[in-house]
Amino acid sequence: MSGHGTSLRGYILTRLALAIPTVLILLTLVFLLMRVAPGDPITSALGGRVPAEELERRKEAAGLDKPLPEQYVEYLGDAFTLDLGTTINDDREVTSIIVENGSATLELTIAAFIVALAVGIPIGLLAGRYRDTSIDVGGRMFGIVVYAAPVFFTAFLAQLLFSNVLGWLPSSGRASPVVEFELNKVTHFYLLDTLFSGSWSDFWDVVKHLILPAVTLGLLVSGVLIRLVRVNLLQTMRGDYVEAARARGISERRVVVNHAFRNALVPVITVAGLQLAILLGGAVLTEQSFNWPGIGAELVRYLNERDYIAVQGIITIFALAVVVVSVLIDLINAFVDPRVRY
Amino acid sequence: MSRIAKLAAVASAVAAGAFGISACGDDDGGGGEGDTLIWGTTDQPVSYDPAGSYDLPSYNVVFNVYQNLMQVPPGGQKPEPEAAESCEFTDEKNTVYECTLEDGLTFSDGSDFTSEDVKTSFDRNLKIADPQGASSLYLNLKDIETPDPQTVVFNLKASDATWPFLLTTGGAAIAPAEYPADKVQPSDDVTGSGRYQLEEYEPGQQTVLTANPEYSGDDPAQVDTVIIQYYDKSSTLKQAVEQGEVDVAYRSLSPTDIDDLQGADGVDVLEGPGGEIRYLNFNIDLQEGSDEQKLAVRQAVAQTIDRDSIAENVYNGTAEPLYSMIPAALQFHTDAFADEYGDAPDVDAATQTLEDAGVDTPAPLEVWWTPTHYGPASGDEYAEIKNQLDDSGLFDVTLESTEWNQYSEAAFTDKYPVYQLGWFPDFPDADNYTSSFYSKDSFLNIHYSDPEMEKLLAEEKASTDDATREEAFAQIQQIGAEDAPTVPYIELSQVAVAQDGVGGVEDTLDPSYIFRLWLISKD
Repeated sequence: MSGHGTSLRGYILTRLALAIPTVLILLTLVFLLMRVAPGDPITSALGGRVPAEELERRKEAAGLDKPLPEQYVEYLGDAFTLDLGTTINDDREVTSIIVENGSATLELTIAAFIVALAVGIPIGLLAGRYRDTSIDVGGRMFGIVVYAAPVFFTAFLAQLLFSNVLGWLPSSGRASPVVEFELNKVTHFYLLDTLFSGSWSDFWDVVKHLILPAVTLGLLVSGVLIRLVRVNLLQTMRGDYVEAARARGISERRVVVNHAFRNALVPVITVAGLQLAILLGGAVLTEQSFNWPGIGAELVRYLNERDYIAVQGIITIFALAVVVVSVLIDLINAFVDPRVRY
Repeated sequence: MSRIAKLAAVASAVAAGAFGISACGDDDGGGGEGDTLIWGTTDQPVSYDPAGSYDLPSYNVVFNVYQNLMQVPPGGQKPEPEAAESCEFTDEKNTVYECTLEDGLTFSDGSDFTSEDVKTSFDRNLKIADPQGASSLYLNLKDIETPDPQTVVFNLKASDATWPFLLTTGGAAIAPAEYPADKVQPSDDVTGSGRYQLEEYEPGQQTVLTANPEYSGDDPAQVDTVIIQYYDKSSTLKQAVEQGEVDVAYRSLSPTDIDDLQGADGVDVLEGPGGEIRYLNFNIDLQEGSDEQKLAVRQAVAQTIDRDSIAENVYNGTAEPLYSMIPAALQFHTDAFADEYGDAPDVDAATQTLEDAGVDTPAPLEVWWTPTHYGPASGDEYAEIKNQLDDSGLFDVTLESTEWNQYSEAAFTDKYPVYQLGWFPDFPDADNYTSSFYSKDSFLNIHYSDPEMEKLLAEEKASTDDATREEAFAQIQQIGAEDAPTVPYIELSQVAVAQDGVGGVEDTLDPSYIFRLWLISKD
């Protein structure tokens, strides 16, 4: 037992130590890419209106002409102290962007994730359980279609049907403008804030706004989960212990649910966790399609404006989030599966 | 059926039920009820401090929250006193400009609005010189005297008859003296004396204005609350209009969106004269051939372009052909390019022009444009221009494009021989459409310099006499058409969409580009 514990501790420490160079490489890449790309926030905003000399003067005033090594050292220092700075273009604290827009993305991501699990796992299970039947074929085709369809296309179809034609759901935003204005944003998670406010009509308004984007994004992820659950279920169903269970006369339903399914879920947890981390930063197209004021949409805006500070700050948080989630998943897997060790 | 299949069926039923309930529920999009107006826009502001912004989205709020000493009235062309009771040049050289403030002005926090606030507003703007601000417009200001709380005297370095216009710009809005002298005031904590006050600002999401109870003018806000809701794309804004989620949509719907909404029930598409122009620029140093040949090419392009076709086919009628760098709605405009080259394409004349100069045809032309700054129709616009020039047989056009950030550096640093630009005014005066382009120090850096042009520009800038300026601008436009360093082709109309029951929007659509919320009412 003590050997197992030491080995696990060693794995944890090694895994955490490996996270540091990962983060460092990511931060350096972000820094370099933003500097290599042509343009700067001042020219982006005022090019075509003021003379070149005036633009240069303004760039100097904004500190955009410092030597690169100096900027790099400052950037790393700020990143490791989580001092993400203030945006150049609109003078916002980057931490406020993370909190306000990050919570919007997190709310959408969690809702989409729930949809993905609710759709992907049952369909994957059914497809695996009824392999090579019409259920299996239908499930796999559904998975392929929702995964292959571009998310903005799915969003467009959803808006067309449910907003424009049927008029059931709003097409964009987190809440109606008046609800958004009147809401006391304590947590910046609108579902929670409306519950705290005690207004069911506001809560329902927020739910309605969340449905289409969450389903659109969730379906995309469910496509991954469907195939993954199916494949893993089929693999575990071929295991000796499953044969042994059948041999002991256990019903097929119990074999699938109690024996095969749980073991099939272990790799699914890994992938699902990584999908969640990716969703946090990659929901850009969904956010743009639904005018969802998430951090992805803000990142695109600041990228277009070449606002180095904002982009660096947001990407830093993305990088840290992905690294933290992947470390956590690895640690969970190591805890669950003693074979996972360095 | 297995338990799993049953669970799946139950989950599906719950989901369907949720949809059904939402379908039955009242999901009226939420366009403002009662005394709340919702304005949807794709514009995103930079700063609500007049010293920290030089962009239309920011000014859309600045003009409603603050007051200027002078303003351009709705539909008007000349500056008139706003916070000032009167303003005038007090010397013959137009270098001393004195304003007397209205009595009883107060900011929305109840503090008095005095000449000291005017002085500090300009002083801090110039001192901060924010990279995103408009301080470069006021560099001609030498100093400001405030002999008493009601009097402001601007001493200019050089004669500038456009100074009254400059006082109407967003950067000249008057902020309280309590604003920091060395940095920009946070956008969520601004105070003005205008018809509205800032209630809340959530970057990227919404700005909320409420009627300012301290406003003492005779044109107060008609709607108590205005929510400016931001949209990432014009398509989502259009959907919001169709669903009734917004009362007014202003900036920026695409031409196809506007076309679509023209026939929609319950909405009105409103147009007004705009001051946003589109023009081609020729970097004279990068053109090939002799000076005569270079001129011939520019003139031939001006003779060949079919402006009507661009306005109709690309912009679905939301643009008008333009025959001068000065928009048609502005005083002193002349159709100089039409006078010089005709108001319709004349390929024969263009052919002759090129022949006379010894230019071999088809003459190669490398034309640059950008897809990420001038709206979604830019691609179609330049495809149309290329087709027109190629089809004439006189030109062989190669279109190149790059995104705005790279474009806005390269265009003004001698990288592009011919390139697209657009312009909307700092203030609605002909000077802003001529000195910006034809001066030898123009930001365009196209290496155009004409001594007669410089003389005329100085003349119009120094004079307040309409007759003198009219004559100067007539000659400026004529020379501009003859030399054609820039070739204007369209001006865009201002377009807003309003739900039924919303009035007054059309009254604010004028070349000043000031969206005066106080003119808008809602049943």
